[in-house]
Amino acid sequence: MSGGPATENKGTHLERAAALKETRPYSPCRAACPVNTDVQAYVGFIAQGRYAEAFEVIRSVNPIASACSVICHHPCEQACRRCSVDEPLSVRHLKRFALEQAADYRRSKRRLIEKTKNKSIGIIGSGPSGLTAANDLADMGYKVTIYERHPVLGGMLATAIPSYRLPREALKEDIDDVISKGIEVKTNCEIGKDVALKDVMAKHDAVLLALGLSLSRSLNIPGVEGQGVLLAIPFLADVAFNKKPDLGNRVLVVGGGNVAMDVARAARRLGIKDVEMVCLESAEEMPAWKWEVDEAVDEGIKIHHRWGPKAVKREGDKVKGLEVTKVLSVFDAERRFSPTFDNNQTTLIEADTIIITIGQMANVKFLKDSPVQVDERGRVTWDPKTQMSSARGVFCSGEVVTGPGSAIAAAASGHRSAIAIHLYLQGEAIEGALPTYQKEKLPELPADVVEKINREPRKKIKHLPAETRCSSFVPFEFGYDELEALEEAGRCRGCAGGAVVDTKKCMACLTCRRVCPYGAPVVQAYSEINPERCQACGLCAPECPAQAISMVSYDVRGPRDTMPEIVGAVDPKRQEPVIVAFLCTHHVGVKGFELPENVRKVPVHCTSRIDVNDLLKAFECGADGVAVVRCGNGSCKYKGVEGRVTARTEHAKKLIAMLGMEAGRIGLLTADAGNGKSYAAACAEFSGRVKEMGLKDAK
Amino acid sequence: MIVGSQKSIDEIWNMVKDFKKVLVFGCNTCVAISHAGGGKEAETIATLLRMRASQEGKSMEVDHTDVMRHCEPEYFEPVMDELKKYDLILSTACGVGVNFLSQRIGKIPVYPGVNTSFYGAVEAPGQFVELCAGCGNCILHLTGGICPVARCSKTLMNGPCGGTNKGKCEIGPEVDCAWYLIVERMKELGTLDKLAEIQPVRNWSTSRDGGPRRVSLEHIRAYEEGEARKSETAGGNK
Repeated sequence: MSGGPATENKGTHLERAAALKETRPYSPCRAACPVNTDVQAYVGFIAQGRYAEAFEVIRSVNPIASACSVICHHPCEQACRRCSVDEPLSVRHLKRFALEQAADYRRSKRRLIEKTKNKSIGIIGSGPSGLTAANDLADMGYKVTIYERHPVLGGMLATAIPSYRLPREALKEDIDDVISKGIEVKTNCEIGKDVALKDVMAKHDAVLLALGLSLSRSLNIPGVEGQGVLLAIPFLADVAFNKKPDLGNRVLVVGGGNVAMDVARAARRLGIKDVEMVCLESAEEMPAWKWEVDEAVDEGIKIHHRWGPKAVKREGDKVKGLEVTKVLSVFDAERRFSPTFDNNQTTLIEADTIIITIGQMANVKFLKDSPVQVDERGRVTWDPKTQMSSARGVFCSGEVVTGPGSAIAAAASGHRSAIAIHLYLQGEAIEGALPTYQKEKLPELPADVVEKINREPRKKIKHLPAETRCSSFVPFEFGYDELEALEEAGRCRGCAGGAVVDTKKCMACLTCRRVCPYGAPVVQAYSEINPERCQACGLCAPECPAQAISMVSYDVRGPRDTMPEIVGAVDPKRQEPVIVAFLCTHHVGVKGFELPENVRKVPVHCTSRIDVNDLLKAFECGADGVAVVRCGNGSCKYKGVEGRVTARTEHAKKLIAMLGMEAGRIGLLTADAGNGKSYAAACAEFSGRVKEMGLKDAK
Repeated sequence: MIVGSQKSIDEIWNMVKDFKKVLVFGCNTCVAISHAGGGKEAETIATLLRMRASQEGKSMEVDHTDVMRHCEPEYFEPVMDELKKYDLILSTACGVGVNFLSQRIGKIPVYPGVNTSFYGAVEAPGQFVELCAGCGNCILHLTGGICPVARCSKTLMNGPCGGTNKGKCEIGPEVDCAWYLIVERMKELGTLDKLAEIQPVRNWSTSRDGGPRRVSLEHIRAYEEGEARKSETAGGNK
């Protein structure tokens, strides 16, 4: 009964909150992620310096996390509600930081998983969707074999994306995580060549076709056949396997998508100074991500917009250039791709090598005469509701059936396939049982709430200068250092991680409504806190007289419940006072809090979350003094915190005075935001003052 | 609602110091609204008592819990078995809750952690004001909605007295004269003439002077008692 609220206290707060989160709208970042990564949760862990836990959140849904941390197109960032304040949170770089910090922890967690189910699955292809399905099925206790035609695992991640963008060490971490579960790997094993599909089907209880789109589409124009004209995927594979194709002095890349950017930028890194691109679209219409285009332009790549390929011009066998026609329009009135040309306007773009990067398709030749049907356009016939092909027990996932998309979307498809296969092997219905990852999300921040949020510019990422980065395939993007990452993580507004009212305890007293600076609580029969407005500051929870308010994103009772461990054993012969310091970690996280040995730190993200009972508990557990260290200079992330926290500390002072203790044993201190050392200095100075008051019951 | 205010820790300590296992039992309705005896305050008191016990070198176990209301048995009955594990219940409910629990919990003493102050309103956050005295015979329609029983220091029925001074009461410059307020309010309502009518001597038997009070609703009691009789009869037939 001592715990007060009769809440279930098993597992971590995150685990306990998981079911609750499912009943509420997701944060837009989470809803936008194809695998619904709980961004708010892991960014919160980063802000607290809890990198292993951040890793666990990320890895729990994303087996290609390290790859995503460098190549993901981060729809989470595009959805970030900070967009209406200043700039989105730099989620991808925070993910990369967390994974780098947790590298040792991650490796230590790799385990062989016991095969508890007497069924085996053959997975053809080891790209994002194949790896994800292998990961999930191994977790469920199935025997899994991966068939990969290349000598390495990873699919396009390993054989197409150049290493300047996806360092292979990062990809290896993802692959090692999966393989360590005890998966049989057959590399250099092409179905239809090294092993027959029917043998794979006979050997396994289920088969997954995670083939990807491994063939480049070509152009049907005069002169395209012959040397000097390359296709993107074979070119990128050559690059990936360190084969240096002879490209001459001038390279022209045809296409305006992200793969075209990889091709052009890889060509630059092969030493070609003159790399140009030509595409049908204008700069605004190009399908490539804007940042990819900007980086390519920085690297000296020239883009010819709104020209369509007409013919490859040759002098003898040798390519002279590409004749192109002016594009009048790319899309029709219904925004369908339907280019029109002005045939009177043509020009020649000179080049020694032309690389065609206009799209990809699946290589399904080996499915001919198999029970797996392929339609007239070369697409595998499948049922998206069950992920099954026309052949019973043969499933599909990833781009081979969904069409071109992102790596993380392919991973989502892999998750679905794994569940589908599991249900199939257990004889259960698949339809309706697969996750859709389509969740209700919070709407944009209301305008009056936006006004109350401090503008804090996004932490910029450093890149190698364009002049130097093109000389090799060295990764050009630097990650955050710890201080940068902590500061960036502090920008997160904690959407959907805010206050929740226990309606069994709430008596509608209006305290939360009076406390909230953002107008989130609506009190009628009981209080309901509108997650659209709630900023997860936590100001309300410690004020609630019925202790009816908890927070989705953190455990409001955490500091009190763990205080005995935080304080530890108190030496009765101690020379220095034991100080418990509640520290605002908004600006510097936990970095720089190299506090004197006698100071026990309680990182709280914002002092708004401190309860009078937390302060008392620290004394009960043996503290001689309790400090609340706020960030100064008006830098508080939230509104209305200073006055409330001052009131709480003053109240706590009165309470300890009733026990005959000096009020000065509680200190509300201020430190320079962004300077960890000033937090340590404030604590040291306070510790000195407490020492003068004497050590509580020290003999 | 009922407004409560916490007793000092010294006073509470003197009540509880000889017990070994104490439960601070919060009430999450009226006294929680007045930040005196809800779950949060119960936890605070429990912590302070443990600290005090430690200071005094006493071995004492102090826990805390809370329920929605102490004045209806259905709310505390689910935790009754837990309550009975303690030597003492320090109730932070109003006096109603202390009485009510005390007569239901058997041999375990129930002590008050809160002073029950008055029936009041939340004038502003953290500020509570007495506006009704529960006299059992309401005349607010005659006094412009301002209660002379609760708000006049002398409980005058025909005021003001000579102690009124520029709208304030003679007992202190911070106390409003209720009869000044009544006059101003009735001017505003255009009913000042009603004050010319002398109120007769008041019958205080509906208030404290008539002994303990009880409100019994016949239409509900008749049914409940009927049901109780039926179940007794059924029990007797067994």
